[in-house]
Order: sequence, then structure tokens, then C-alpha cells
Amino acid sequence: MIERLKKYCGCISPSGCEDEIRELIIQDIQQIATRYEVDRMGNLIAFKKGRKTPDKKVVVSAHMDEVGLMVKYISDEGYIYFDPIGGIDPRVVGGRRVVIGDKRIYGVVASKAIHLQKKKERGMVVPLEEMYIDIGCDDKKSCEEVVSVGDVATFVPNFEEFGDGLIKSKAIDDRFGCALLVELMQEELEYDTYFAFVTCEEVGTDGAKQVAFNLRPDIAIAIEATTAGDVLGAPKSRYACELRKGAVISHIDGSTIYDKKLVEYALATAQENNIKCQLKNVIAGGNDASAYQRTAAGARVLAVSAPTRYIHSASNVVCKDDLFEIKKLVLALLQKGF
Amino acid sequence: MERIFELACAFSELPAVSGQEHIGMERVAELCKGYFDSYEVTSVGSFIGRISCGKAGAKTLLLDAHIDEIGFIVSEICEGGFLKVVNIGGIDPRILPASEVLIYGKKTITGIFTSKPPHLQEKDELEKPMKLEDLAIDTGYSKEQLEEIVSIGTPVGYRSPVVRLQNNAIAGKSFDDRICAVSILRALEMLKEKELPVNIAVQFSGGEETGYKGATTASYQIAPDFAICLDVTNAYVPDAPAYRKDIKMGGGPSISFSAQTSRKLTIKAVETAKKNGIPHQLFAEPNHTGTNSGAIQTSRGGVPTVLVSIPLKNMHTANEVVMLSDVYDTSRLICELALSLKEGI
Repeated sequence: MIERLKKYCGCISPSGCEDEIRELIIQDIQQIATRYEVDRMGNLIAFKKGRKTPDKKVVVSAHMDEVGLMVKYISDEGYIYFDPIGGIDPRVVGGRRVVIGDKRIYGVVASKAIHLQKKKERGMVVPLEEMYIDIGCDDKKSCEEVVSVGDVATFVPNFEEFGDGLIKSKAIDDRFGCALLVELMQEELEYDTYFAFVTCEEVGTDGAKQVAFNLRPDIAIAIEATTAGDVLGAPKSRYACELRKGAVISHIDGSTIYDKKLVEYALATAQENNIKCQLKNVIAGGNDASAYQRTAAGARVLAVSAPTRYIHSASNVVCKDDLFEIKKLVLALLQKGF
Repeated sequence: MERIFELACAFSELPAVSGQEHIGMERVAELCKGYFDSYEVTSVGSFIGRISCGKAGAKTLLLDAHIDEIGFIVSEICEGGFLKVVNIGGIDPRILPASEVLIYGKKTITGIFTSKPPHLQEKDELEKPMKLEDLAIDTGYSKEQLEEIVSIGTPVGYRSPVVRLQNNAIAGKSFDDRICAVSILRALEMLKEKELPVNIAVQFSGGEETGYKGATTASYQIAPDFAICLDVTNAYVPDAPAYRKDIKMGGGPSISFSAQTSRKLTIKAVETAKKNGIPHQLFAEPNHTGTNSGAIQTSRGGVPTVLVSIPLKNMHTANEVVMLSDVYDTSRLICELALSLKEGI
């Protein structure tokens, strides 16, 4: 799973531009899926036949897109102004490296030297609309030869294991979910199951809405990366979740109140199988579960997430063991059935 | 230019946070192999290399670039494997959240600066200045494991392998002032076939970012007759003071007029650039130049010094940007100026 995650994290696929990651996933599932299709929104929906056909239609879902930037304006000096794609904290953008467009042009989000800052500027976060990317061009014309308005950019791929069993990379949110779904599809499944690799989660769970409408699942399980607040100085009551404590199950987040019975079923399954699992203790964030819950006649929803530090930044940080626990839990749920 | 890029990659990644240059010195000596007749590493973290011109009574030209870099040192090892650090030299905290660093402990490990999760941020937080004290470095180890690897005082530096941008621009860490060390070595390559009129001493000085101590002591030791101090200078960027508008990327080395340099040698440098068609720009900084030039100029009985700077953007960040052509032109200027010194100044 870790090698696959690395491969997936290397894609430049922000919301609305999921082609690269989707191609990789298709290569990986075409031999193991019973059938698959790409819908009009770019969602990839795969079906895997199990030993039995269940009464309830179950979909496991992960989003392919990542947060990124879009080129908005190229100045006379050849600097590139941008808007964020999805929610990005301006504090993690200043001074970072990005890669732009299909030509994979490297750029640096400029940050004025401390020597040139006025006293009142010191330490003050620059709003995203005032930041610009420097690709080394010194005029608009030369810049426009390689970059165009509408091109998308992401943080530079930087997947690496570090510390005691941790991984850092851009886009672990939610390439982890994608990698996990493919791993699950490699198993002999007890029941027929749908696997949805959806688009545009970061801009409003847009892809999942279409999947939910077309598929009409009874049960939807979102596999996500969720913010872990277990950083130095944060109060434990505000951690949301912690690294090394296993799969995160949410009762409630910023956009969904999860199906109580499914939550209890997941917790019981974890306990039965000795799988590490924790409850999210902060009401924040949101994911594709909200789309599945509310589309058409709705579905019962569950989210199983990887605790992730510094989400939506150049370096998401997760613990490998947490990822393995999540795989065990979701597989146990699928094999038991609903 | 390819040679410059190669050297830039090697010099950029040297671990030499100001005051702890010794960590990178072995590698510096390796990179300098073949350039000098003799070399030594001083007790305060400078590298000195010497080339003799073989002429009796020849004068000595000093070429200076500082080898130290800004960075951090560990101030506390905390629960959960986080490190608190203090800055060494001027650091802008705004570029740190979620950025990568290398921690030069018993082994070198990766760290990530923390960024506060959105749900823990207060509403008016963006209105307040960011401070280094509010951040920590996530190492991925437990406190106990970490205590085996690092201690209070362990140096920490940016991690930012060099990449190429458009138009022969490159981005990386610590081009301040390693890119000038590169320009010196490239100049020595250009001088290799030439007959030197003077002895050359090179000092890759330590401790510039924290008070010029390497240049002060190495210059004393070398006792040169004149010096070229090489550093980087802020190129104009949007919203920078207007007087920087003529410091342009790609415009060649900037030659400074200052009370901390020799006017005579400065004019000679400008004339040499003109005579040889080397692109260059002029900069006026009458008082402190914020470089080693003052320390070198006032060494012993005084050393006529010229300050030559390579234009750079995003100074002191993990993505300093320079242009290879500016480095090359700086090497040419060093080379021609050294050759012109046969008549003295």
C-alpha cells in the first residue's frame, strides 16, 4: 500500500484536473475490477463481484482530487498570481515550491526578503491574492510561453518516510483513500461492492454527488484523511484525533452527522478484531459522506479516516501503522457485511 | 553554466549553520580538492585555500565568500517528539509552517515545521504577526527516541534541494552565500591556464550571519594586500524600496560603492567590467554593507576591498533564487580583476 500511495501522491491532480491520478488507478484496477466506468463528472466507479450479492448496495468512496492553485493573472514582470483550489491556509503557501501545468514548470511562491520588509510587515501573513509565483521569467511574454491563465499547480511531490514509521507528502488527502480502495479490491470479497474514486471533493464534494445520484447506494463509506490536531501546545480536548491511535471514526463533523448504527457497528467490529480505532472529538471538517447522505433519497453513511497532521499543506503527515489499521477495519466491515 | 549548476547543488546542501560550520567542513575540503596549493580549516570555522603565483614578493589577493548559513538550533526537546528551536540569523517565520528541515544530530533526520490546524485557529489570528516561538518541529519520533539523536544546541537547517527554473534561474537554500563560493571556484577554473600576477587566498568564512567573525579572523591570518568580498544582494521585487529597481536578476554582478570598501578598487572593478564587456550593475550603500567587507577592510593595517554581489530573490528563505548567468559573469569579473592587479591599484 505504501508504494502505491507514493505513486499516487506524485500525481498533479487538483480538483477538476484528476486525469493523471485516474489513469494510474485505472491501470491498477483494470485486471481486478469486475467492471468499471468513468462518468460525465470524471468519477471512476468500479464494481467488484463478491461471493454473495448483498441486500444492500454498498459503496466505498475516496476522492482523487487534491488542493492546489490556479493561475489567474501573469504580470508584466512575469510573475504569476493565483487563487487556491479548495481550502488552503495562506500560512503554508508562502515560500513553498510548486509545479505548474502539464509542462510541469517549477516555481517558487515568492516571499519578500526579511531585509526588505517594513516593520509593520514583519510576521504578518500575506493574503493569498497578494502572493505570486516566480518561475524565473522576467516578463509576461516569456512566462506565457510556458504557463497560461487557468493552468493548475500543486505543491511539489515530496513523498518520504521519516521519523518512527511516519510518512510526509503532499496530497495524502486523499490519495491514501484511493490507494486503500485499490488494496481492498485486490482481496477476495464476501459481498458485491462498489468502489468510487470521485472528483472535486475539495471544492464542495461535487463528484460524489453524481456518484450518489447514479448509484443510489444504501450505505456509503468515505475513506478520508482528517485533521489531526495533536501538535505541540494544543489541548487534548481539541486534538480531533491523534497519530498512532488508529482509524478515526467520526460521530459528527462540520457537515455530516453520521449514521449512529453504522458508527457503533464499526466500533464493535474494531473491538472484535483488535483493530486500533479512535473517535474524532472535534466537530470540524467534512467529506464526501455529506454528499452521499443527502443526494437523491439519501444513504446511511460512515467515515473512516487517517489521522493526518498539516493537511492541505506541502507536507501532510501520517503514520503507516494507522493506514494498516484502517485497511484491516474497512476490510473486516466489508467481509462481515451490513 | 552546467559546471556552475553542479557546484551550486553541492554547495547549497552543505550543512553549516552559522557557528557550527565544522559539520560541513570536510565536504567543503572535498569540493575544493584540486583548486589550491594548500588549505587549512581555522579554529573559528573558516576554510582557507591558497594558490601561489610563484613570483617573489608577490602581493596577495583575498577572495571571500561566507560558508555559513542562517538556520536554527534546538532549544527544547518536547513531548510527542517535537522540537522547539531558536533562530540563528534573520529568519522570516511566515515561510516556515509545513516546511521541511534537516536536523543535524547524531544522525541527520527530517523534520516538518508544524502548522496550526484550522479548527484550532482563532478568528483574528491572521491579523497578528507570526512568531517562531509559536511553531515547533515535528520529527516523527517519541521524546525518548529523540533524546538519543539530538540535544539542546543541535543545528537545524532548511531542506531544499536545488531545482532549475526558467531562463537559467535556479532555486534552493543558502545561495546566500554559497553561490558566491561557487563563483570563486568557477573563477579559479578560468584562471587555471593564466599567468597569475598575484597570490590568491580564498576564505570561505564562517560566522557571517552572526557577526562576521570568520572573516575577521581569517583575514587577519591571511594578511592580504587587497580583497574581493563576494556576497548576495536583494534584487528588486514588487513592493521593495524604489532604490533597488536597478538591481536586476540577469544584470550581472552588482558592484557596491561604500565607506566600507575601497573606492579605488571599486572603480577598478567597474572599469575592468566595462573593458571586458561583463554585464554589471552599481549599488550605493554608504555605511554598513551587511557583508564581510567591513571586517576585511579594517583587518590589520587595512585591506582595500571591493564588494561584488550576486542578485538574489527571497533572501534567507528555503527558496532563494539566482541566475546562473549572473554567477558566471561574477566569475568572469573576479578572473579579470585578479589578472588586472599586476600594476597594483
